[in-house]
Amino acid sequence: MTRYLLNRVLGLIPILLWITVLSFGIIHLAPGKPTDTGAGFNPKVSLEARQRLEKLYGLDQPLHRQYARWLGQLARLDFGRSFLDDRPVIEKIGERLPVTLTINVLSLALVLLIAIPLGALAALRPHSLFDRATTVGVFIGYSMPSFWLALMCMAVFGVQLHWLPISGLHALDADSMGWLARQLDAAKHLILPVFVAAFVSLAGLSRFARSSMLEVLRQDYIRTARAKGLSESRVVFHHGLRNALLPIITILGLSIPDLIGGSVISETIFSIPGMGRLFYEAVMARDYPVIMALVTIGAVLTLLGNLLADLAYAWADPRIRVGQAAS
Amino acid sequence: MATRWRRRVGLGLLGSLGIIGAVCAQSSTTDTGRPATGDALVVGSIGDASRLLPILATDSASGEIVGLLFNGLLKYDEHLHVAADLAQSWDVSPDGLTITFHLRPNVRWHDGQPVTADDVRFTYDKLIDPNVKTPFSSSYELVDGVDVLDPLTIRVRYKEPFAPALESWMMGIIPKHALEHEDLNTTKLLRHPIGTGPYTLAKWKTGELIALAANPNYFEHRPYLDRYLYRIIPDEATLFLELLTGGVDLSGLTPLQYARQANTPFVEREYQRFRYPSFGFTYIGYNLQDPRFSDARVREAIDRAVDKQAILNGILFGLGAVATGPYPKESWAYDPSVQPLPPDRDEARRLLAEAGWTDHDGDGWLDKDGQPFRFTLITNQGNDVRKQVAELVQQQLKGVGIQVDIKIIEWSTFVHEFIDKRRFEAVLLAWSLARDPDLYDLFHSSKTKEGEYNFCGYANPEVDRLLVEGRRTFDQTKRQDIYRQVHRILAHDRPYTFLYVADALPIIHRRIRNVVSSPIGIGYNMIDWYVPPGEQRYRSRPTLQQ
Repeated sequence: MTRYLLNRVLGLIPILLWITVLSFGIIHLAPGKPTDTGAGFNPKVSLEARQRLEKLYGLDQPLHRQYARWLGQLARLDFGRSFLDDRPVIEKIGERLPVTLTINVLSLALVLLIAIPLGALAALRPHSLFDRATTVGVFIGYSMPSFWLALMCMAVFGVQLHWLPISGLHALDADSMGWLARQLDAAKHLILPVFVAAFVSLAGLSRFARSSMLEVLRQDYIRTARAKGLSESRVVFHHGLRNALLPIITILGLSIPDLIGGSVISETIFSIPGMGRLFYEAVMARDYPVIMALVTIGAVLTLLGNLLADLAYAWADPRIRVGQAAS
Repeated sequence: MATRWRRRVGLGLLGSLGIIGAVCAQSSTTDTGRPATGDALVVGSIGDASRLLPILATDSASGEIVGLLFNGLLKYDEHLHVAADLAQSWDVSPDGLTITFHLRPNVRWHDGQPVTADDVRFTYDKLIDPNVKTPFSSSYELVDGVDVLDPLTIRVRYKEPFAPALESWMMGIIPKHALEHEDLNTTKLLRHPIGTGPYTLAKWKTGELIALAANPNYFEHRPYLDRYLYRIIPDEATLFLELLTGGVDLSGLTPLQYARQANTPFVEREYQRFRYPSFGFTYIGYNLQDPRFSDARVREAIDRAVDKQAILNGILFGLGAVATGPYPKESWAYDPSVQPLPPDRDEARRLLAEAGWTDHDGDGWLDKDGQPFRFTLITNQGNDVRKQVAELVQQQLKGVGIQVDIKIIEWSTFVHEFIDKRRFEAVLLAWSLARDPDLYDLFHSSKTKEGEYNFCGYANPEVDRLLVEGRRTFDQTKRQDIYRQVHRILAHDRPYTFLYVADALPIIHRRIRNVVSSPIGIGYNMIDWYVPPGEQRYRSRPTLQQ
């Protein structure tokens, strides 16, 4: 097992390197330079001034040398400084991560709370009215553009009813509130973004829960449980649902990297300074250090997620680890 | 979807000078009551600031904030005349080679240190320092030297007379005592600025809010509004919804919002709308190396075939004015004798026929030597107004038998692959311009290298001579003659088809009093804005004013 683990981890390093080479190449292939943002197409900024800026940012160096410099920094766990405001990239990410993480964890929790019971209940009586209704409902959510839903919610709950704030994370006078009032204020600001994010992603998980539950309910041990004379609720929840949840947990494990990636659209509409907007703004401004840092972190998390899933399989199925070790 | 940020061409320097808006014909309510301190002004902005140091503030958000935190030696007054700021007076030597600034005494930095000529010298040194990441060095290339004569007097020597220099000294002056041992590119003062301006930075939550607090010791007087809160709301639709619920006091509107959406009873009751021309113009530029467009008759024919008023009415809801040249009507450089050409298709066809373009084969399109008159008009992605203008131009030129294809290209690709490399036939773009009428970079025949701005390849020796002379002349009357002449020649030569000058469309909450619109816009007297005590909405918190 240790040898298998070691093999797998070592195998990740070239993949990771290859990912960084590719993404470095691709973002530099895209036309445009970081110096376009502030200094581009402004008659008050001469050609010489722009060339001087490019030199200061090291953009006059050949690409492989720029990459080597970036990799050297990364080896010392230094993501460099943003071209946009010269702040350390890691500081910029640290500033954005908590918000995105909060929203994603909350909406994932909400999805779990709603999708699993919904799917399971639908599976109990397949093709019943309830099943059809939830199917239609979750697919409406799935196919609805989130920006449209967000704007409608803002217009109804914010503009018409005045129940909820429209955008942002805090009220303007949040600093003068007491602790409790401040938490309440933050919660109110989070309701719409979390709801919108959850509503549009209900479909996937609830369909998985449904089919997984259907599968389980056909198993012999369910018939056995019923034959033993167990109560229906015990059959469904203890024997049925618990087994149906196994594949769902695998899916959840694989969605770990998604937790740190924010949605550009939702963050822009709700004026939330999260990871999605950071990435989008970095791409638009060709802020190479920020783009590379986010791509690398995303790649590492995805690879780790895959590794964890594989390890779980290997642990469960000896054929995999033996086969790997032999080859 | 939010590609519109940073799409404002050439706003860099203007922003860093803290100039909001432009010229205006209408004025507004002024309050007769006594100004009171208190309350906050909540401003909605699409973008966040990045660096709060004047010489590094390149985006318009940074420029706006820096304009409230810092002062230049000079500024523009409400009538667009050069006026005193940190300098209480200035003299230009008769040969135009030296400018001497006399600083206002007893001005202090936010941290209490006095402002002296050394700070000005330091600012200049950093502007031309090759290791500082400022793009603004080009305005100081002609400076021969800067001498500190005494703590309140500084003399700038030029290699040759350079009239736009006065505008260049509107750059915010930075504190030597706080920065001399710092690396300007990474100093913590980029996020914790020390300036001289009417407001100080209280708090900056990235991507969310920049809070400014009134500077009680501001040299003119303490601003009445206690706080200036700059909310970052990157989506235009959200920004508008915030206006509808009173979450934002001041914001710019799009023509559509101004004309169609902002006339609800609530908005009418709560807000005051302003409208004045922005400094800049939208145009069609031609690649003058293309034999079709190097023919002046063809350019005149297109000028006559394009109905600019129809474009304005149809797309901007009439919120703008037809352009006859590079200056808006309110500029002193604008020549009122240049009249817009009335649209005239018959005359356009006649001119085209004279140039050899007629419909020989009867397919509805003009042709010459067997080639149909067909060209591609390119413009940048992310600007819906521009896209619609291109479509209307396409329609209008179809009316005279010219076939136009439209290509919309992502900004960076647009600039580097098409404009810089001259791979275009015609381009639809806009320039935002400084208040000084100098157009050397746009129309001088020397500015045609890759990455320079005379990308149409316009060359007229007379314009070259006038543009050089305009830079060497300080006398306003003589400069006026020069630039009006430039205006007339450009209107005659038509390297561009000048389309329109769009209006700036700010909207502001009615409880804010003393908002006056003038030729420079509405922001120039912000320190005099106030809210009567009974109508104040936000309580101030003394802890903010550290």
